[in-house]
Amino acid sequence: MLAVLKAEEVGKAYESGLIFKKRHIALRGITLEMVEGKTLGLMGVSGSGKTTLGMMLAGLEKPSSGRVLFAGEDIWRLRGREFLAFRRQVQMVFQDPEGSLNPRKSIERSIHEVLGLLKIPQREWLKRTGEILEMVGLPEELLCRYPAQISGGQCQRVALGRVLLLHPRVIILDEPTSALDISVQAQILNLLKDLQQELGLAYLLISHQPEVIRFMAHETIVLERGGIS
Amino acid sequence: MSSPLANAAPLLQIEGLSVSFETPLGRVKAAQDVCFDLREGETLALVGETGCGKSVVASAIMKLLPHNASVQGRAVFAGRDLLALGEKEMARIRGSEIAIVFQNPSLALNPIMRVGEQIAEMLQVHKGVSRSRSLQMAEDMLSRLGLVKKETASMYPFQFSGGMNQRVMIATSMILSPRIIIADEPSKGLDGVLAGEVMVEMARIKDQVGASLLLITHDLLLARDISDRMAVMYCGEIVEIGKSREVFSEPLHPYTNALLSCLPERGFQPIPGSSPSMIEPPAGCKFHPRCPQKQDKCMRRPEMVQVESSGEFSGANESTGREVRCWLY
Repeated sequence: MLAVLKAEEVGKAYESGLIFKKRHIALRGITLEMVEGKTLGLMGVSGSGKTTLGMMLAGLEKPSSGRVLFAGEDIWRLRGREFLAFRRQVQMVFQDPEGSLNPRKSIERSIHEVLGLLKIPQREWLKRTGEILEMVGLPEELLCRYPAQISGGQCQRVALGRVLLLHPRVIILDEPTSALDISVQAQILNLLKDLQQELGLAYLLISHQPEVIRFMAHETIVLERGGIS
Repeated sequence: MSSPLANAAPLLQIEGLSVSFETPLGRVKAAQDVCFDLREGETLALVGETGCGKSVVASAIMKLLPHNASVQGRAVFAGRDLLALGEKEMARIRGSEIAIVFQNPSLALNPIMRVGEQIAEMLQVHKGVSRSRSLQMAEDMLSRLGLVKKETASMYPFQFSGGMNQRVMIATSMILSPRIIIADEPSKGLDGVLAGEVMVEMARIKDQVGASLLLITHDLLLARDISDRMAVMYCGEIVEIGKSREVFSEPLHPYTNALLSCLPERGFQPIPGSSPSMIEPPAGCKFHPRCPQKQDKCMRRPEMVQVESSGEFSGANESTGREVRCWLY
């Protein structure tokens, strides 16, 4: 099995105080591997550092110690095209589905924004938008609506669709269903499973719900006081 | 198993309650022909997905709906129709006889007032209790809810976690020993363990003061664990009502069955399709476009029908109150 993303002895510390500096260790010595087509579950109580670890793996936070390796390369040493390729291939889906979308842009514009950034010719936008809507199970009539006019589950599907446009290899899912009803949660979890099977995606699933982790994850790690317990 | 509450007298009777809102996109039919009884001392859970109209029912009972709402039907409490009462009379009932716990404590509490003062204010306004005595009573109530430190009452909401603020909300609603407590998603925003603790404590105090609880929640497991009866709502209508354990173990309505199948222990089986629009809901049974057992007559609206309970849930001398809105029965 091919490990796409690795963390090697990763740690994170924050400093506070203006004169008398105080160091808070949020995470220490985390080593893990994410494999194509597999889900790694990440559990832990509130404040145990789950989201911080997810952000570091996505390259949105720099570790204070250790390395995050994408296809064998330290992500903080990547430059230019290589760094852009990493950014494209490692994506994150957040907990609050409405907060993930620009409230002033229609769903169509939110999707077209990604296509524009990918420099896809405009004549292909309609086709690509249709494909992605079908993949995440959304009807086309939703395109003219705004995030506030669709449900939380539909927002989460749009967020997932935008991520899939980038053809990622890794998706970090930070409590993707905890703000959703049980019925919508079931829909999204099943959709994530189907997409993984179809596209061979590697997931890091952050959740405080053991039943969600049991349903989705092939392997699980539990964080406790900043370390793997 | 028979419940001692099964034949208790109804304290609150909701009869044909319909609520709609005029919006720029059209008329939103948020609740349609909602009927249920809340009996003395019982906990009734109103469950359903977000947006199905549960909170609208609670706000309608308390007469807290916005001005663009149009309300029909009756909410009879102690022989009086609450929906026909004036604002002055309703203000006397709110808090002292019917209290509500809102789902977002951080928004419901006054951010610049100490929590003890906020609880004590209820006693001062409604019962004329002195400030010092009411503060003492507020402290006692907070300690019963697990906030035992003496300085707790003199702290502000921003100094508390979400769970602690929720307990302050519960203390505020219970301090006047109301006859009915309406709890609108009281566990929302709390993590699993804390939600369980808060709800158990709430149920305990509710029993102590002898109140009835109308629990509004989308958390099916919480509803099963703490309620006596459960009413399932879909797209503004109650589709099934019965004893909670019975609804859980032997759901009658296809929607209830589908909703329960979404639970982790039943393998997260999703309901096909999506929730319908409340502006143009489907004709007839509102679940029929997603229903695996739909028939031609589902295009007509089924009436709520009484169904006999079976096996361990049937009782010789009591009304089981099992009702379902489906052509299969």
